[in-house]
Amino acid sequence: MKERIEIRLCGFGGQGIVLMGLVLGEAAVRDGLWAAGSNSYGAQARGSACQSEVVLSRAPVDYPRVLAPDLLVALSQEAYERYVIDLQKEGVAVYDAGLVKPRGGLPQPHIPVDATRTAVEGLSQKQVANMVMLAAVAALTGIVSQKALLGAALDAVPARLREINQRALEAGFRLGESAREGLSYPLPDWTLCEASARADA
Amino acid sequence: MSRDMNAYLREEIQRTPFCPGCGHGILMGVLLRAIDEMALPMERVLFVSGIGCAAWIPSPHFKADTLHTIHGRAVAFATGAKLYNPELITLVVSGDGDLSSIGGNHLIHAARRDLDMTVLCANNMIYGMTGGQVASTTPEGAETTTTPGGNPERPFDLCRLVAAAGARYVARYGVVQPLLLKRAIQKGIRTRGFAFIEVLSPCPTQFGRRNRLRDPAETMKSLKARLISQRQAKSLTESERASRIVYGEFASEDSDDLEGRGRDA
Amino acid sequence: MSRSRTEGLLPPGDYYLSGNEAAAEGALAVGCDFYAGYPITPSSEIMERMAWRLPEVGGTFVQMEDEIGSLCAVIGAAWAGAKAMTATSGPGFSLMMEPLGYAVMTETPLVIMDVQRAGPCTGQATRVGAGDIMQARWGAHGDYQIIALSPWSVQEMFDMAVQAFNLAERFRVPVVLLAEEAVGHLRERITLPSEVTVIQRDRDKTRPPFGSEEPDGVPPMPAFGDGADLLVTGSTHDEWGFRKTEDPEVQRRLVTRLSRKILDHRAEICSVETYCMEDAQVMVVAYGFTARSALHAVRHLRGEGLEVGMMRLRTLWPFPEEAVARMGEGRARVLVPEMNLGQIQGEVQKAVDCPVEAYHQVNGEVIPPSVLLKWIRERSL
Ligand code: SF4
Repeated sequence: MKERIEIRLCGFGGQGIVLMGLVLGEAAVRDGLWAAGSNSYGAQARGSACQSEVVLSRAPVDYPRVLAPDLLVALSQEAYERYVIDLQKEGVAVYDAGLVKPRGGLPQPHIPVDATRTAVEGLSQKQVANMVMLAAVAALTGIVSQKALLGAALDAVPARLREINQRALEAGFRLGESAREGLSYPLPDWTLCEASARADA
Repeated sequence: MSRDMNAYLREEIQRTPFCPGCGHGILMGVLLRAIDEMALPMERVLFVSGIGCAAWIPSPHFKADTLHTIHGRAVAFATGAKLYNPELITLVVSGDGDLSSIGGNHLIHAARRDLDMTVLCANNMIYGMTGGQVASTTPEGAETTTTPGGNPERPFDLCRLVAAAGARYVARYGVVQPLLLKRAIQKGIRTRGFAFIEVLSPCPTQFGRRNRLRDPAETMKSLKARLISQRQAKSLTESERASRIVYGEFASEDSDDLEGRGRDA
Repeated sequence: MSRSRTEGLLPPGDYYLSGNEAAAEGALAVGCDFYAGYPITPSSEIMERMAWRLPEVGGTFVQMEDEIGSLCAVIGAAWAGAKAMTATSGPGFSLMMEPLGYAVMTETPLVIMDVQRAGPCTGQATRVGAGDIMQARWGAHGDYQIIALSPWSVQEMFDMAVQAFNLAERFRVPVVLLAEEAVGHLRERITLPSEVTVIQRDRDKTRPPFGSEEPDGVPPMPAFGDGADLLVTGSTHDEWGFRKTEDPEVQRRLVTRLSRKILDHRAEICSVETYCMEDAQVMVVAYGFTARSALHAVRHLRGEGLEVGMMRLRTLWPFPEEAVARMGEGRARVLVPEMNLGQIQGEVQKAVDCPVEAYHQVNGEVIPPSVLLKWIRERSL
């Protein structure tokens, strides 16, 4: 088991990348983990590629930012291209199947998740693709429990958007679970806490 | 019968720092009489002032809480005190340069915010304390140490400025109209909301002697001669009005017409 | 005195907050009940949180027309009895210098949170810097002492907000929380305590409010409306507040006391932390976010067997020179990494006998651990 897991979420401005980071960190804290998160702010956040990073661990870490991410979650081609080069050799990339075409020849496993299409076609709400993706990542990797993620996400959005976000998360959990079942190789063990280990057992 | 105002003054202070004939001494007396007549609870009265001769009217003379601040910011200090403790009867007393030049932004924003405070602006049309430089209220053509050829710029009409910013009560009187002035101060204090009173308070030392006004008495006489009511102003042409100063109320919730009842107009 | 958290405050427990949000919560926990401010990146989240949180705890919030007015309103409220604060960043902090001097001169307790960005001037509004360290110390004219704290984590944004108000009340002095964008915008897990220590000013009105028998004394401070007939002025004044603008002795006594009440209490005010210092030949002195990079590097280098350690400055002003001198004794070298062109470096050099080397980075980004790892390693072999 690792001491520290680093996650970088990236996409373009308007996809709700910063919210993903906030919800992921909040969920980790609810799971009893230690979490730290930083975003690209200002002009960067308004521009094309934007990113939110989260560091998870069991105990407080000295350096709270991402050094070399274990997990890259990409929701746009440009952001993927820009950040995939930093991914750890033993890391994993999860990408939106409809928006990102992964580079060939990279050593890290690349896992597609049809987040945006699920949001558009299944939920008629493109805006919640971020939550579909985040839920899929949680189900796929076990970095946080589904219960904590659901609670954190629903508390982070306005009341009128709770229902659609809940449906998005549930759809994402299913996507993540089936993606994991379809894998022909084991993913690294990233469960840091009891809660997420139990939930995903 | 005139009442003794000593109860409102700190025993430690024997005399004011103002030059002989300065309008600020009169304003000081009028202000205390206004307060005395209203029987304000002095432990709840807060005087805030900035920097300049007029800022010394309350501080250190008045036996009450006094906040003598930095140049231009008296209204901002008063805003904090009043917002935190709305029980404080808050009076800002300062000069034209302080309140309207360096502090102009705070003045209009306080009027817009409509805090319940009264601002007395002692307008001597010049920077007195620093030696007689031009102010944003100096009349066009007037001589000052920084306008040796006469002021090329137009002055602010402070009352119109503050009224436009939303003040509830706005009035202008000269220290040569003590009764009207006293009534206006009382009305300002009673106004629930932002009140602004421009008090024309001549500066014989810096303004008078540079502008062919031989002595303090002359300065007062000249002010009195220039003051006209709003009604009188209506019958004058623009050029006739240019050399006069219009007194009266420029904003008031109940338009009780002070000028009609005044005895010293 | 410590106080149990009351109505309107967040219940104790773990939260995932940004540094700016935590600073606001810390202020509320210690009893801050007045905020005046003006929007500026990267500190605005403090003001935005105070705008909805203060009414919940019965406090007062106002957005002023500029930063000068903001600090003036804070001072006015403080004299009306408030525990008052503002938050800003470089350009706004520059505008606050004159009222800051007024707060020093009138011994007004208040807190300024300066979430530093890359300057000078507008600089890089969304990027990080630590260029206001000397401005906090010397920004207003005249001779004075001030207290400035340097948080390195979200938890410390909360804890130091509490501490800042307590120091302000204890010493009747403005206290600057010298945060950095990287900590203000960082989100971390934070544990809110069930109780915080709360110091309240002494409102005794029988003793003079601007002087005390002891040369290092902190006088009592009644509020407007207490019936103390307060005479508050930024001009040189005697112990009751009377202006004495031409008296050399009153000026000397006042200016000396304003400094001594801080300097003579350095042991009480200053706080540092040390890491891996036992046998260290090389001592890294760091503060703020940079200390997190430095600690990461130092721990890594310890793993390589190098004799390096770190001292973290939690207090920047008054400078903890005694602690730095004591800890620096007998070391081969002291290293000071900073997100500026060397503002604390000189203070460190004054305190120690060994050579001091500095790493300066002013590109609007935090100094990454990899850079410090290499830089420290090269100087520790
Ligand atoms: S300089 Fe002018 S305003 Fe100042 S005290 Fe003398 S006469 Fe009055």
